[in-house]
Amino acid sequence: MTEPVLRIEGLTAGYGSVDVVRDVHLEVGKGEVVALLGPNGAGKTTTLRALSGLVKASAGSISMDGQDLTGLTPAARACRAIAHVPEDRGLFRGLTVAEHLRLGPRGERLDAQLAYRYFPALPHIADRRAGVLSGGEQQMLAVGRALARRPSLLVLDELSLGLAPVIVEQLLPVIRAYADESGCAVLLVEQHVHLALEISDRAYLMAHGAGSDSHDAAALRRDRSVIQASYLGGQEWTPTADREKERDGEMQ
Amino acid sequence: MQTVVLFALLGLGSGAVIAGIALGVVLSWRGSGTINLAAGATVMVAGYVFWAVRTGFFGFALQTVPAIILTLLFMALYAVVVELVAVRPLRSASPLAKLVASMGVLLLTQALVLLIFGTSPLNSPSVLTSDVVSVFGVAVPEAQFILAGIVVVLAAGLAALYRFTRFGLATRAASESESSAALAGLSPNVISLGNSVLGHVATGFVGILAASIVGLSATTLPLLIIPALAAALFARFTSFGIACAVSLLIGISESLLYQASNESWFPTQNGSAVPGVQQVAEFLLIVIALWWRGSSLPLRGDLVERSLPMVPDQDRLAARVAPVAIACAVALVVLPSDFRQAVTTGLVATVLCLSFVVIMGYVGQLSVVQLALAGVAGFALSHLEAAYGIGFPLGPILAIAVATVLGVLIGASALRVRGVTLVVVTLAAAIAIEQFVFANPDWGGGQSGASVESPTLFGLNLGTDASFRGLDGSLPSPVFGLLALVVTVVLYLFVANLRRGDLGRRMLAVRSNERAAAAAGVNVRAVKIQGFAIASFLASVAGVMYAYDFRTVSANSYGTMSALSLVASVYVLGVTLVQGGVLAGFGAAGAVIPLILQTWVLPENRVSVYMQLIIGTGLLIQLRFCPDGLLVASATKRERRARASRAAKALTAVGAKPQGGV
Ligand SMILES: Nc1ncnc2c1ncn2[C@@H]1O[C@H](COP(=O)(O)OP(=O)(O)O)[C@@H](O)[C@H]1O
Ligand SMILES: [Mg+2]
Repeated sequence: MTEPVLRIEGLTAGYGSVDVVRDVHLEVGKGEVVALLGPNGAGKTTTLRALSGLVKASAGSISMDGQDLTGLTPAARACRAIAHVPEDRGLFRGLTVAEHLRLGPRGERLDAQLAYRYFPALPHIADRRAGVLSGGEQQMLAVGRALARRPSLLVLDELSLGLAPVIVEQLLPVIRAYADESGCAVLLVEQHVHLALEISDRAYLMAHGAGSDSHDAAALRRDRSVIQASYLGGQEWTPTADREKERDGEMQ
Repeated sequence: MQTVVLFALLGLGSGAVIAGIALGVVLSWRGSGTINLAAGATVMVAGYVFWAVRTGFFGFALQTVPAIILTLLFMALYAVVVELVAVRPLRSASPLAKLVASMGVLLLTQALVLLIFGTSPLNSPSVLTSDVVSVFGVAVPEAQFILAGIVVVLAAGLAALYRFTRFGLATRAASESESSAALAGLSPNVISLGNSVLGHVATGFVGILAASIVGLSATTLPLLIIPALAAALFARFTSFGIACAVSLLIGISESLLYQASNESWFPTQNGSAVPGVQQVAEFLLIVIALWWRGSSLPLRGDLVERSLPMVPDQDRLAARVAPVAIACAVALVVLPSDFRQAVTTGLVATVLCLSFVVIMGYVGQLSVVQLALAGVAGFALSHLEAAYGIGFPLGPILAIAVATVLGVLIGASALRVRGVTLVVVTLAAAIAIEQFVFANPDWGGGQSGASVESPTLFGLNLGTDASFRGLDGSLPSPVFGLLALVVTVVLYLFVANLRRGDLGRRMLAVRSNERAAAAAGVNVRAVKIQGFAIASFLASVAGVMYAYDFRTVSANSYGTMSALSLVASVYVLGVTLVQGGVLAGFGAAGAVIPLILQTWVLPENRVSVYMQLIIGTGLLIQLRFCPDGLLVASATKRERRARASRAAKALTAVGAKPQGGV
């Protein structure tokens, strides 16, 4: 089997002396879209932040293309072709859209045209500051900027946060298309479980800081009870999950 | 009208220097989120180094252009050193620590310059043309215009750099959010270093050109940071253009003010103009800037969680205080006279340092106005006595009240602003008080100082000239020292207990997070004002005691640089701990530690400069290796050990074996 782009083994990380993520295993291969699913507070964001080096891992290893990332600063990891769109979108309010598409580490030229191709609305707002954009526009910019860096690993944390489902339904297929065209590995955290599974190859489920084995996305799509049983642990549905159930019902 | 225009033009030179410093302040802020109090010292360093290589001070003299180039290279190196010593190690530290670090750089560089080049101002060889142009028939040096033009070009160049280059983009991004910048692959260290070098070279360049126009003095140049901070505040630490424009306007206004002071309508005293109006104007300008711009000052989203110095418990107070108090009492009787004097002064300085413990350690704000307040209390005491015949004990009570109220008013002017901006207000206030009050022939002591009668109660002399003498039979009498000891112990216990009480807890809540404290129902402004009132009160008490101690009040003892040294020494030892205040007090000017150094170690006439050097160095080392302060680090270690052994005892008590490791 070929080496996966990202391999996380036995990751334990947290804030201060409290571990909020324990012994998580996870792999993402080339051109693969992998979803990381779980209720609020499960530790998904923390896992991604540990991957980018924003949170220190207390145990375990994270490697890209077989190379260990331990000890590298967040900036150095970003320079290893990891594009991480964090929960808060990671934009700079005072910089314009065009400036965002110029802003990269030394020696890295962003491909603004690529961003404009995937998000045709962006060129029209190129001179606006990120701080005055709508939520959807900001998210397009954040993802567009990430794509323009032509990463080998794309990490997306809750793209849907604060966005209308219609917009999410437009954004996610773009990700799938990009992964297929470029061979980029994508790790995706998403509350809209149903939409995420639609574009994913595989998924990991997280609850209370513990990860799961890999699941086939198609299987999860068919049998939602796995998700209910394993990560909602018999608890009530979150509002978003509820909405999805309704929508699933309508579709059937 | 003609004179007005003329003087406006003559202000361009000093306005340009202020602008050069303000640009450095903006660059530091955007590069690393530091309010760089040492930006004024950068002008000083560049000016002196240029003077030295130009005039052959180091044994070789260069022509103007090579000398400029060499100086600028030196400034770049200086920037790298400052960055590695005082900025990078504090990347993840609290804003207070970053601010204090820049204060350390200021103290250290000024002390070094004073030691190497001496205290008297120098005349720097002029760099720009010495031609003059005729304006309304009066000769104005052309250099003024050229310098102002250069500063404007510099500001425009920096603005363009920030707008159009990758480096500028990266800096703007990182100054908004360091974590987002890191995710974008931008290294905060490189960005910070780049801006630091840029700032030091740009400010240094202005310093070289301006040295011959504004004069080269290690005592005045560093303090130009105050008008520069005012300009930077108007620019919200962001806009080069606004910083430059406001600086030039400040220079022009000061020149006009100077011209106005010769006019008949200007307020005068004893036939000469009231001094210090310019410094009061600068203070008011900063207050205005804070009210106008304060709430919109950009906050940085930094990468790492900030931590403030630990606040250890104050336990077993009586057991700890009693031996020291007894030792002091004995020392006050048996030691030779100069040491008795030094112990007394140390006790008084301790009270002053306790005020820093309250405002910095408990409330988490950096205030440097306390020494000036002490001076106000001292002068008030002297004048109440001389002018109204009010003596002990009403005199000191009124004097303390006056200075405390003044302190609260100054603190209130910074209330609207979150964060560490109080330092800017208090720094400006300290200078304003120094120039406006102390230097005033009526209110202050003028050049000679104001005398103070010894306190007497029921005919009993409690002063340093009481009839009861030390063992060697000479002055000063131990009586005042013992009185000071009692006051100091009482106030020490008060400050230590404050930490344990309800108000202390609210202060610590405000210190750790103003918003969270407010959300938890703490009235943040009220707590800050109370903290500031207590600190001002302590400083005023110290001021009155100083006056009785020396029986004269002179402006020299209350200088702003001495105040910064004092703040720094409290911080080094541990700003959250009352013991830190005591040790810092005994290390203060005129107290025991300087006396020991002066008697046996250091050349007598420069002991204060050496102390400043030691404190500045100590501060930078402490911030790097022991960020909580020396005493705090050992106290927390002891606390942890005590807790571990208590836990172990509890375990053995219930029959379990203590586990290794915590
Ligand atoms: N900065 C932080 N400091 C302390 N605890 C945090 C911090 N961020 C998140 N947590 C805690 O870590 C746990 C996991 O959070 P997170 O990774 O954000 O979950 P998710 O993204 O799955 O919703 C939560 O219990 C949360 O309270
Ligand atoms: Mg999350």
